[in-house]
Amino acid sequence: MSEQKQDKAQSGSVQTTGHAWDGDIQEFNNPLPRWWLWAFYATVVFAVVYWFFYPAWPVGQSYTKGGLNSITYKVGDKEVTTHWNTRARLMKDLQEGEESVKQRQYMQKVVDSSYEKILSDSSMMQFSRSVGKILFTDNCAACHGMGGAGVIGLFPNLVDDDWLWGGKVEEIQTTLEKGRNGYMPAFRKTFNEQQMDDVVEYVLNLSGHDVDKEKSMRGAALFNGEGGGCYYCHTKEAVGMKSVGSANLTDGIWTLADVAGQTNIEAKREAVRAIIKNGVKRQMPAWSQRLSSAEIKILTVYVHELGGGK
Amino acid sequence: MAHANAPVEQYNYEVIRKFAIMSLVWGLLGMSVGVYIALELAFPALNFDIPEITFGRLRPVHTTLVIFGFGGSALFATSYYIVQRTCQARLFSNGLATFTFWGWQIIILSGALSYMLGYSQGREYAEFEWPIDILIAVVWVAYLALFVQAIRQRTQPHIYVANWFFLAFIMVTAILHIFNNLAMPVGLFTLKSYSAFSGVQDAMTQWWYGHNAVGFFLTAAFLGMMYYFVPKQAGRPVYSYRLSIIHFWALVFLYMWAGAHHLHWTALPDWTSTLAATFSIMLLLPSWGGMINGIMTLSGAWDKLRSDPIMLFMIASLSFYGMSTFEGPLMSLKSVNALSHYTDWTIGHVHSGALGWVAMISFGSMYHLIPRLYGTKIFSLKLIYTHFWLATIGIVLYITSMWIAGIGQGLFLRAFDDYGNLKYSFIETVAFLHQPYVWRAIGGMFFVAGVMVMAYNVIRTISRAKREAAELEAKIAAKMASA
Repeated sequence: MSEQKQDKAQSGSVQTTGHAWDGDIQEFNNPLPRWWLWAFYATVVFAVVYWFFYPAWPVGQSYTKGGLNSITYKVGDKEVTTHWNTRARLMKDLQEGEESVKQRQYMQKVVDSSYEKILSDSSMMQFSRSVGKILFTDNCAACHGMGGAGVIGLFPNLVDDDWLWGGKVEEIQTTLEKGRNGYMPAFRKTFNEQQMDDVVEYVLNLSGHDVDKEKSMRGAALFNGEGGGCYYCHTKEAVGMKSVGSANLTDGIWTLADVAGQTNIEAKREAVRAIIKNGVKRQMPAWSQRLSSAEIKILTVYVHELGGGK
Repeated sequence: MAHANAPVEQYNYEVIRKFAIMSLVWGLLGMSVGVYIALELAFPALNFDIPEITFGRLRPVHTTLVIFGFGGSALFATSYYIVQRTCQARLFSNGLATFTFWGWQIIILSGALSYMLGYSQGREYAEFEWPIDILIAVVWVAYLALFVQAIRQRTQPHIYVANWFFLAFIMVTAILHIFNNLAMPVGLFTLKSYSAFSGVQDAMTQWWYGHNAVGFFLTAAFLGMMYYFVPKQAGRPVYSYRLSIIHFWALVFLYMWAGAHHLHWTALPDWTSTLAATFSIMLLLPSWGGMINGIMTLSGAWDKLRSDPIMLFMIASLSFYGMSTFEGPLMSLKSVNALSHYTDWTIGHVHSGALGWVAMISFGSMYHLIPRLYGTKIFSLKLIYTHFWLATIGIVLYITSMWIAGIGQGLFLRAFDDYGNLKYSFIETVAFLHQPYVWRAIGGMFFVAGVMVMAYNVIRTISRAKREAAELEAKIAAKMASA
């Protein structure tokens, strides 16, 4: 088609408009390409049909609502029918959409079941993993990391089997709902330099490091006596207490002082000393206001499984 | 070179030369910033924790330098050239023309610096704070006056089609700029101001501006450029006068309604969304009218594609124009938009228009224009070919990587598992973007490398022109002396 026209144009049967600008710029008087014109009309028809079905033109304070396209959804127990609009579409989708229905059924089952039952039911566990993964990465991963490995010195590792605040489902649920305040006082004014050295030595001794025996003995006395009073929270056995979130110092797992990450003993001492000197003040926020109880239940199951549970 | 008694040029080329050069300078700078922020998205450590060069601040620097610095200066240059030549009328005031040049450069520079320092209105493509907005309005009125006066003084009875597009662009841009930037400054000595609009009206105003900035600044105006340089370079008449009239008015009328398609599925009323989507669909063929007219003008001169790299730029730009004006209406449909919105598909779309259409037609036009402004020939045709291929490879890498990133992320975000739960967390969809982001940056590097080749070619062309002029002067002087 176009070639034909070109030929015509070249042979002179299509006239130019007779104007010339800047010496040599002219215009042919070719008609509108037919296909172009019909395609344009087609888009206009498309638009008019679209306006017929959907809200489209403003009229006074209102607008044309569109027809043959109404949406029925529920408000409470009542059924409401309205013209097509995005809010109604969303409501309908949440109420009747295939994915929503599926999700709601599983969710209801989880909400109605005890932790014991959920943990022993493989389909409910798979569902909890599937929801939990998204809940965890969207809400918890910012601190604890995508996989829950935490950051030493800042955020506890949730994948190991050590639980500062307890690893039973009830304990994890409380942690999620109410948050936790991890606190240890700073001892920089309580201990002098030598006492500090002694306590550091004892703490490292507790987890089986090869240390100066004499210093460690003196440290033990401070730890378990009124001079330091460390045992108030860490207990005389130094295994910690779940009720206050105090760390077990005997297990070689470190969440604050990066002892495991240091190879030479001086660096290990420095790491422990810094914590004793400055104390600890860290907080996990409470989630009961941000997540639904069903979501907290699922996260509980998810986090419980991350660390192998207790 | 300028002697006191030198004859006055028939047209004011001095201001055109300045704008043409600055268009290249801002283009090179703005596109390099673009590559840098593309790299920042792939490797966030590149912001070095320096606030001034973080993505959030450099992004408006990039858009401002390329749209208003590169594109704007290219439009000033070509529109002054075209209006003077097609009306055979000199711009009526040298002073006013020079004022538009310096005013515009100050606007671009102060805008870019202020964004880096953290001053921004937070309106997309209109981040300039209010004092700069006022300067823009003043410069723009001067521009309008110069342009309209040239048309009024034309010697031809008819106004050439390129000038309709430029005039529409100048007038609409003024309206868009003024209404979008209506704001109350907090104080005379502070840059902060509050918009006259709030909530959804504010969003609507912003995208009415944003979309028509694309429509009139980046489309209509560059069509004006196309309508002059394509027939000039091809040496053939424009294919259809009728088509140019119809598609001009259809384009100008329909574009105004389409902005709300940037706000589908938001608090915007549904009827607004519908109108925007349907008007975008109706915009397809009027947009294509320009492409058809351009390509059909070139046809009959296809043999020139083998010998003239400038024609390559023009035909490629028209093809990308056709592609992105097809993609746009497609993306404006609510159901497609539900997938594409807030993903990199949008970024890819904008760049197929910006790199493929706006930049390519500008390069082609500049290669035609610059040698003529300096009264010489281009330094190297071969380097134009090199530029063309670098640019084309760059665009293809850019667009395809953004299609993968955008459509991929869109599909991830809506994927469900067997339990009716979202399959991917948000961060997983972001992690997926890393590779496409690297490829996009590589595409950008190709494109910038092309502009560097062009800059070198232009510098050599200008220095040759100066040498030739000096030789000529020496010859004349020798003749005068012997006479």
